[in-house]
Amino acid sequence: MALTALEIYKLLPKTNCKECGFPTCLAFAMQIAAGKAGIDQCPPASEEAKETLGAASAPPLPKVIVGTGERAVILGDEVVLYRHEKTFYHPTAFAISVSDALDDDAFRDRIRRIRSLSFERMGETLAVDMVAVRCDSGDPARFAAAAAAAKEGAGKPLLLSGPCDALAAALPSLGPDRPLLSPPVGEGEAGARLAAPLGLPLVVRAKGIDGLEKALAAARAAGACDLVADPMPASLPDAVSLSVYLRRLAILHRAREVAFPTAFDLGNGFPSPFAAASLLVPKYGSLLVLDSDDPADIFPLLTLRQNIFTDPQKPIQVEAGIYPIGKANGSSPVVITTNFSLTFFTVRSDIEASRVPAHLLIADCDGMSVLTAWAAGRFTGESIAKILSESGIAGAVSHRTLILPGMVARLSGKIEELSGWRVLVGPQESSALPSYLRRLPPAAFAPADV
Amino acid sequence: MTVVNPQQTFPGRILEVTLPAGEGGRSVSVGGQTSLPLLPEGERPNAAAIGIEIRTGDEELPPSLSHAFGGKGTDPATLAGNLVEESGAQFLFLSLAGCHPDLGGHAVSRGAGIVRDVLEAVPCPAIVGGCGEEETDALLFPAVAEAAQRPVFLSYADEKNYRLVAGAALAYGHGVVSWSPIDINMAKQANLLLGDIGVPPHRVLIDPLTGGLGYGLEYTYSIVERIRLAGLSGDGALARPILCHLGDSWKAREALDSAEESWGDVIARGRRWEEATAWACLAAGADLLVCRHPDNVKTLRGMVGAPWR
Repeated sequence: MALTALEIYKLLPKTNCKECGFPTCLAFAMQIAAGKAGIDQCPPASEEAKETLGAASAPPLPKVIVGTGERAVILGDEVVLYRHEKTFYHPTAFAISVSDALDDDAFRDRIRRIRSLSFERMGETLAVDMVAVRCDSGDPARFAAAAAAAKEGAGKPLLLSGPCDALAAALPSLGPDRPLLSPPVGEGEAGARLAAPLGLPLVVRAKGIDGLEKALAAARAAGACDLVADPMPASLPDAVSLSVYLRRLAILHRAREVAFPTAFDLGNGFPSPFAAASLLVPKYGSLLVLDSDDPADIFPLLTLRQNIFTDPQKPIQVEAGIYPIGKANGSSPVVITTNFSLTFFTVRSDIEASRVPAHLLIADCDGMSVLTAWAAGRFTGESIAKILSESGIAGAVSHRTLILPGMVARLSGKIEELSGWRVLVGPQESSALPSYLRRLPPAAFAPADV
Repeated sequence: MTVVNPQQTFPGRILEVTLPAGEGGRSVSVGGQTSLPLLPEGERPNAAAIGIEIRTGDEELPPSLSHAFGGKGTDPATLAGNLVEESGAQFLFLSLAGCHPDLGGHAVSRGAGIVRDVLEAVPCPAIVGGCGEEETDALLFPAVAEAAQRPVFLSYADEKNYRLVAGAALAYGHGVVSWSPIDINMAKQANLLLGDIGVPPHRVLIDPLTGGLGYGLEYTYSIVERIRLAGLSGDGALARPILCHLGDSWKAREALDSAEESWGDVIARGRRWEEATAWACLAAGADLLVCRHPDNVKTLRGMVGAPWR
């Protein structure tokens, strides 16, 4: 169980020596409790404190890294069961499978399609993380060649799934790229002996939690350290409950013997892979292997991952600036709001629904909604006048009329006085924008005498 | 086993709520559980219920839905009858969007007439939604409450209109969907207010506002989890079934846009956009889901049954 700041404080020297870099022992204790500092930063700490706090501050779920460099994928290293308690740190990784039994053209085509599973959303690139190469041919040389071709073609970290002789054949060339090895159930120890000398991550597969506990112990005894656990569910309900129970054991019970990132193979005929993936993104799957390369499947799943792994402690912001909606031109209305993402998306979709082309002007308010930003002094007559003169909107339209959110109607006078723009007070709720925009007289946006 | 038992027990129990059916229909009960969703622990007398939404009014259908609805009828009663039968939906969510001035501007009497026709054509339990325009809804809910010849749920009562909606519901024996904008305190407050004016707890469903996939789903996900954890921990005002209405997932550009080829077929993608939203809501703890795509009703119905109860 995690210790509270006060419990930690009691173990510290309480001398406020500042060697840790914090002004007081209590401040340092609070940082440790928040997971932002470690006891190793406190040289005078007693052995007892180091032992207690060292164990308590070790992450409940170890981190496993697959691949190298920029594309490396981090599995595990989570600290809470519910994202509202803090945040989820490492997004569920997606691997799309490719079979080494495909002929050359089909193989290349498949890799090309996997690589094209990449989408731009909210200023982020959402892409599949890994390629899972399956040994279906039974031929180690063919598997090794396929794995090398997959790495070359996709440029993503690999999951190598096959019997140990096939994995061994692929390792001489691919070992340095830190692939994740996934031998079949029953070859776990042999796989561990393969992974151990190279320090490679290894998927340990066994049925259920009891089975995993034994198999994981055996793999560790054989020298493998970076382990990923696959509890081999037979069904969708099984997959969810095993995933939840493994995570609860790690976080709530600190059961180190089964506290590892998880992998689920949702291909190879697993029933309802889309449903399973949709449930395992929020419910703790660390790595999901899918056979589908259909963007209509993968885009929604990557978007779900983006949602769930958003830090709930930070409001998501969109970039400030001018967003033309529809075929907006020089005489289209200008609507202003703040850069809180939900505000932005709501207003944008309501403008779209109106079918009236418009320019949406987004003010940088640290991701606060309209009323919050107004109350915090970030959405004011002064700041809006500044945006009107500095954003370039004056060059994008020939009129000088601004539509202001109805909630902050009181800013109208100040804006008009400071900017010279005319202000129209828009509706209180964004949902009324469609009818509001449709009823605006075109004369409202006639060119101004500038 | 040497590993500890990972099952969890909670002191609270979610209140069981029954949505009554018409003659020949099957009523639906939700809630009653003592555990978190989708786990083989505690008691779970009822599986999550899956319903389908029918909307009146002049709205352009998303490509995926227009494909699914093709040839199933145009008037609400025929469409509802066909879609409920085909999909196996356990309840119907009839949205009177057509009464909105921008979506048809149907007279209130016409909205009420549609409710009467649909309830006659479809015997399954029903929830009737307003049009979202405050002044119209103020007239619509009393008219609907009177027109409905059997108990339904009215959707929704919020901070502003709860007296009116609850009053209409109480007068004719209907239930109420208690709406709050992704805020656990407001969800609790809304239920307390409804209780204060006499709405019985077993006639209330929580609607926490469901953001669509990519557009605020994460807020809904966490609020549903928090409401459920609070309810199971013993907060009676929150120990109620939660309804997630997935309609917002059909407003996402990603669910509608057929121009982006690299996004895959829009018919399949639109359906998946709603389905992913649905699974996330179930994972968080939703007890009722309102879908628009009949194939999603079928899929979800097929999977949330026996093994998860």
